[in-house]
Amino acid sequence: MKRKNWKIKFLIGIIITIALIWTIVPIFWILSTSFKMPTEQFTIPPTLFPREFTLQNYINFFTRSDLVRKFFNSIFVTTTSTIISLILGIPGAYALARFNFKHANLLSFIILLARMMPPIVMVVPFFMITRFLNLSDSYIPIIIASSFLSTPFAVWMMRGFFAEVPESIEEAAMIDGCTRFQALYKVVLPLVLPGTGATAILCAIIAWNQFLFALILTGPSTGTLPILVSMFITEKNIDWGIMSAAAIVTVIPMIIFGLLVQNNLVRGLTVGSLR
Amino acid sequence: MNKKINPGVFYLLPVMLFIILIFLIPLIYSLGTSFTRWLLLRPDLGVKFIGLTNYIRLFKDIFTWQTLGRTFYFVFGAVSIETIVGFILALTLNTEFKGWKVVQSIILVPFMMAPIVVGFTWKFILDDNFGLIPYMLKAIGLGNITKDVPLLANPKMAMPMIIIADAWEYIPVVTLIILAGLKSLPIELYEAANVDGATSFQKFKYITLPMLRPVILVAVVMRTLTSLQVFDSIYVMTGGGPGSATETLSFYTYREAFISYDIGFSSALNVLIILLAMIFTIIYMKIIRG
Repeated sequence: MKRKNWKIKFLIGIIITIALIWTIVPIFWILSTSFKMPTEQFTIPPTLFPREFTLQNYINFFTRSDLVRKFFNSIFVTTTSTIISLILGIPGAYALARFNFKHANLLSFIILLARMMPPIVMVVPFFMITRFLNLSDSYIPIIIASSFLSTPFAVWMMRGFFAEVPESIEEAAMIDGCTRFQALYKVVLPLVLPGTGATAILCAIIAWNQFLFALILTGPSTGTLPILVSMFITEKNIDWGIMSAAAIVTVIPMIIFGLLVQNNLVRGLTVGSLR
Repeated sequence: MNKKINPGVFYLLPVMLFIILIFLIPLIYSLGTSFTRWLLLRPDLGVKFIGLTNYIRLFKDIFTWQTLGRTFYFVFGAVSIETIVGFILALTLNTEFKGWKVVQSIILVPFMMAPIVVGFTWKFILDDNFGLIPYMLKAIGLGNITKDVPLLANPKMAMPMIIIADAWEYIPVVTLIILAGLKSLPIELYEAANVDGATSFQKFKYITLPMLRPVILVAVVMRTLTSLQVFDSIYVMTGGGPGSATETLSFYTYREAFISYDIGFSSALNVLIILLAMIFTIIYMKIIRG
């Protein structure tokens, strides 16, 4: 029995080691390259750690004239579309969790279908409508598209969190003289705050990482960070160093937020219930 | 008539209106334009109703079927790798060894990265001159694979590389879904099995696997649907090439719409994608409710 335990532990160790190497090496590779001197990027054999640590790639990247604009655009589009998704999604999720609808299955199907539909299907008509309405270099199309992409997630996730709150809580608040709407935002919403935070961050990740809609719907002054990243790649001679710096700058905020979600998700399941 | 309106309608109406407006109008628009000849590069020709011509071209053209084949190759490859590896990882993380939470956080990171950056990362790692993988292949004596053509320029190897990059990004999702399923399995069953003297393998075969089947099915169908969406990594890594070796349905539509500017034909392709997505979503609904 003891022997077998040892074998299983050994197997788990091997699987975890492989999984960690598989995950970390690609990320480490671009992180390391982003700190290498231009000459060192092209050495063969490739060096794992930068021989000479430099911030030159980041300096080159941050002094690009279009970076600040793209960075601002990304933050602006992500924030507005997340807020729109939450404002629309929270009441909808609450309704689905609390009321019985005759066509509940059809409603779920529409929301699910919206989440599952490949973006390319929406991109072509969006592009034509944008052209028709002369909105080509405005924020409106990309904000609407990003909110549309994250709204189904907001509804789906928040419905789960609302379902965990016992209905007796609102009933008590309503007996005390609250309307249902007051009960929702004064009593229930504070209880699902961690869940709301996690939902908001997921919506933000979706909007921030969105590329196809941004590629088609944004103009020269409304482009987002993923567009900048793709512009570096399609240039004939790729400068891997500045490119890696751009990649790192693009992913770091969402990795930090995402790891926060992880804890929030676990807490969201335990906090907010009646003792 | 004293019919009372369900008060929930007022909470649900805004979001449903938003989804239906933003979702259904484009779908109907696509359906409409799919019956037209509409070339943005030839504005002189205008928009002309041509009935089913786009669909006839779609079904007659062998390229459509090849693209469908490539799409299913990608979906099948990516989803099976993600499911098998995700399952093994979830089983491992479920043993809750020391530090499993840290490991889980690290494994989750690729999923939070922008797909466009994931594509870049893998393009870089696979680069013939400066990449890690071709270098390692040479170091262990497998240099032949990349000797004549670089990995991403090799029609046979390009798609497997796209699949690997996709797996790298989405294994964490499958792992999390299955892990959640494992954590919700009733402990009593295992206790009862222990009383009966079942071995670990028996417990795995007769309790874990059957109980987990619905969860695995959900993960598989969900990933099948979302992998139909693949675009960003292909755009960055190969641009659909070499030739059209990595061109999937989404990418083909993109090329028809935004490089050939053939709105009519790309709309017909979109209708095909919509039908595929609807069929899979219905299957998915059946599974999560059943």
